[in-house]
Amino acid sequence: MQIAVNIAVLASIYALICCGYVLIYRATRVLSLAHGELMMLGAYGLYATASLFKGHPLIALAAAAGLALAVGLAVYAALMWRMTGESVLAAVLATIALGILLRGAMMLAFGTLTQHPLRDLGWENASIGLPGGARISAVGAALILSTGLVYGGLFAFLRGTRWGMRMRAAGQNPLLAAQRGIGLHGIYALSWGLATFTGGLAGMLIALDAGLESTLVIIGLKAFPAALVGGLDSLVGALAGSLVVASAEVLLIQYVDPLLSDVVPFFVLLAMLVVRPWGLFGTREELDRV
Amino acid sequence: MKLRLCTIAAGALFAGAALAQDAYVIGVSGAMTGPVAGNYAPVVEAMKAYLEHVNGKGGVNGRKVRVVVLDDQAQPSRAAANAKQLLAQEKVLMLLNTSLSSTYAPMVGESKRAGVPLYFAGSVCPKETYPPADPLQFCSTAFGANLDSQAALAFVRSQAKQPVRIGFAAMAIPIARAEIDYAEGLSKTLGMTPVEKQISPPPTPDYTPFATKLKDANPNWVFSWSPWVSQVRTFEAMRRLGWSGSYITWAHLNAEEELARIRDGQFYVFGTNAFVEDNLPVHAEIRAVAARANLRYPVSYLTEGFVAGLVIENALKNTPWPPTPQKALAAMNRLKVDLKGLRGGPLEWTKENHFRTRQYYRVWRWDPAKNQIARVQDWQAIEVKR
Amino acid sequence: MNVARSSGYYRTRYGEDFALLDTKTQKAWCAVFVAALLAYPFVAGPLALDLANQVLLASLGAIALMLLTGYAGQISLGHAGLLAAGAFTTGILFKELAAPFWLTLPAAALAGAALGVIFGLPSLRLRGLYLAVSTLALHFIVIYAGGEYETRRGFSTGIIVDPPRLGDWALDEPRAWYFVLLAAAAATLLFAANLLRSRTGRAWRAIHGREAVAAALGISVHRAKLSAFVVSSTITAIAGCLFAYYRGFVSAEAFSLYLTIEYVAMVIIGGMGSLLGALLGTVFVVLFPYAIDAAMNLLGLAERLSSVVFAVNYSAFGLVMILFLVFEPQGLVGLWRRAQDWFLLWPFKQRPLAGPR
Repeated sequence: MQIAVNIAVLASIYALICCGYVLIYRATRVLSLAHGELMMLGAYGLYATASLFKGHPLIALAAAAGLALAVGLAVYAALMWRMTGESVLAAVLATIALGILLRGAMMLAFGTLTQHPLRDLGWENASIGLPGGARISAVGAALILSTGLVYGGLFAFLRGTRWGMRMRAAGQNPLLAAQRGIGLHGIYALSWGLATFTGGLAGMLIALDAGLESTLVIIGLKAFPAALVGGLDSLVGALAGSLVVASAEVLLIQYVDPLLSDVVPFFVLLAMLVVRPWGLFGTREELDRV
Repeated sequence: MKLRLCTIAAGALFAGAALAQDAYVIGVSGAMTGPVAGNYAPVVEAMKAYLEHVNGKGGVNGRKVRVVVLDDQAQPSRAAANAKQLLAQEKVLMLLNTSLSSTYAPMVGESKRAGVPLYFAGSVCPKETYPPADPLQFCSTAFGANLDSQAALAFVRSQAKQPVRIGFAAMAIPIARAEIDYAEGLSKTLGMTPVEKQISPPPTPDYTPFATKLKDANPNWVFSWSPWVSQVRTFEAMRRLGWSGSYITWAHLNAEEELARIRDGQFYVFGTNAFVEDNLPVHAEIRAVAARANLRYPVSYLTEGFVAGLVIENALKNTPWPPTPQKALAAMNRLKVDLKGLRGGPLEWTKENHFRTRQYYRVWRWDPAKNQIARVQDWQAIEVKR
Repeated sequence: MNVARSSGYYRTRYGEDFALLDTKTQKAWCAVFVAALLAYPFVAGPLALDLANQVLLASLGAIALMLLTGYAGQISLGHAGLLAAGAFTTGILFKELAAPFWLTLPAAALAGAALGVIFGLPSLRLRGLYLAVSTLALHFIVIYAGGEYETRRGFSTGIIVDPPRLGDWALDEPRAWYFVLLAAAAATLLFAANLLRSRTGRAWRAIHGREAVAAALGISVHRAKLSAFVVSSTITAIAGCLFAYYRGFVSAEAFSLYLTIEYVAMVIIGGMGSLLGALLGTVFVVLFPYAIDAAMNLLGLAERLSSVVFAVNYSAFGLVMILFLVFEPQGLVGLWRRAQDWFLLWPFKQRPLAGPR
């Protein structure tokens, strides 16, 4: 039972991170390797707002989430729109360069010490008992909950709203979409904003659980195989992929060798690339267009 | 603009060696940026601040001490390039390493080739500094491989009332894995039952899966010796799973504030540096030095760097002018530094022993009743012999 | 080669089309350049010499990546893994069998070739981003294996490798290394330039352009892709072997993803699809941090801001990379060609043509 809970928590961490990769990729066909840094920026945003709105943790959280959304829009407006039409590698490298820049800037602004936003907000990470003898931490529960909310919200947004439909259209065929009067830059900016918002949320929750320190960036990269296993352009795939990778990891830790958990996501990824390169739920013809 | 940059760079390259050698020059390669900078940058900054303070008082033997710091981002290749640069360009008297243990090998290679002493002031002391010591490698940092496990397990045995079922946790970096393997073997000879060993990869989003396995083995003690993240998060995850045993782990720079954050009576940390809450006269000195240099770190982070500063000052005192690496080496081979209470006793290096002749350990925990840190065991000496 | 001259120079024989250097001026400049390279270690200071060695060493890897990515169009993010494979082959053979360098070097090359096949296999099915990711996964697996070897054998802080020996003479002097590395880099460059003029090189460019057309022209796409991976990985593994000897150590941490990023940056900043670009990019990426350091020292910023200097240096690398990608997508080689054109056409203004040439 505990194992199931562990899988659920890890999977929701991965899923919350992955949805940023997917949102950016399916709209703009760019793989953002600055996602880890943007997550960290979101977490530092929370650290900043926590001291700004002392005693009002919920306001601080909301402000930090709003900040993350704004950062995403700014990243597109300042840099990424210039990379539209460039080669895949150039665009990926631009995000890497952005990541390096952000990491240096955060080091300048916030120093290198570990921070504990949870304490700053005045909360405790309590342990909650579940039926079946399992236990889950409060932040873990919050992670599962917010992953559910984010995915639910995104599905509703993409299926039900006008902007969501435009976003899907732009992802399917940018040329046709543009000819039909959809402003691609607006759509792309929105997807960067949403991706940074969800990533920032993941960063904040991880920082609440574990403290805020620079390995957060690498965790962002670790979630990436899950996005590919599920299919880079599918949100359902991101959920499924996260579940697959998280289960593989947790089960290996429990029953085989904890050391393997580091490379296993990449083994799963390789197996997937050999058998079904476009992922569990990805679109097949995308492959040729990359 | 680019052209100007290039000429500047070229000028600096060729003219660099001409800088006045009217000072004792020390070269540092440290993890000033990058993922682990939080552990190593304070050490370098404190050491530098102390030596600036010494310079302000007239320097050593009437000469200034110049500290050249290069950043290696904890990357081995950069450490190697830095060592080359420090040796060839700055002609340093000694090399300092304040970075991850993965940067040791490249710097050892460079120091060997140049015959310049290499002093580890940031991370774990390598076995080569223990007697019989490698002629060129020195170390003053608190942690020492194998000795730490001996101290921790001895403490566990002294505390335990029932048979000890001990679990181990470490981060998947070679040096921590080697130590935890050693501890596992040692625990058997001390009559304990090792029940489980969990090695977690460096960036782990959730430690609960590892903690679950560890908890399922039902240990009453757990020993962890790793970077702080891995130590403390394994513990926190185990507590959240409802584990109620005792946990002993290494007191890193941030141990004091972390004990106050975690507030768990069964969470023990052991280490060799006095806590700042003792408020020794030397702590006031550290505060003053830090304030003058405008350091942004809490004082508790500065002890290790201050020790390094004292060591360097003393070594240079015995290095007659004009200095050479050989003279510095000779001075380091017979060194005794009074650490003013920062550790249990003086730090002593001999030709045989580049670690210290005696290592002293204290153990602390949080006392929930009094709501403060409590010292559970005072200085306990371990003789360092071959 | 293959650069159209603006006027006054016509090729009259097919052989001239293949010549690496086709005018007398070019030959003269080339001779001057070679002479300068040979004289360099006798005038340079110790740091400048080490920097030159770093550049030469890195240029091997950059040329290899340029062949694969810039010419054959196969994206790889596993470059550090291949370097690691070469270095670990050397380190392991040295530690376990005390093998001399004339055994470890070919062994590293063989290991590289073998890994090249493995890294290349996904390319038969995958393209673009997916290929990049599969090579990334392989990178992690190679590094994991290397790290396991280190830990299991007790070399927890890395494997120390002694300098290569020939009889009594050991290669440990920076000047000697300079000539060894210069020879290696020159040989790699010539090899690459020649390969690109051959059937294989033309096949690579063809599959880069469009695979279907290449196949229609009778090029075996599979073979061309695999050969690109094998050639590139072999060179890279040899560079890894040289790295192990030059740096005197091997450890898994030395081959992080960041190293791959640096190599990719070399290729992109230099300019895709140009060997000159690979070299310029290498020089730029290797020297850049030192240039920033020197600039800050010169401006006196280093003393005042000592605690932030390193963070500034770190972010500056990211910033410069972004500026290049945004404002000069053709890289340093684009700048170089534009400067060339400016001089060729002077006093007439030339408006650069859009798109790569």
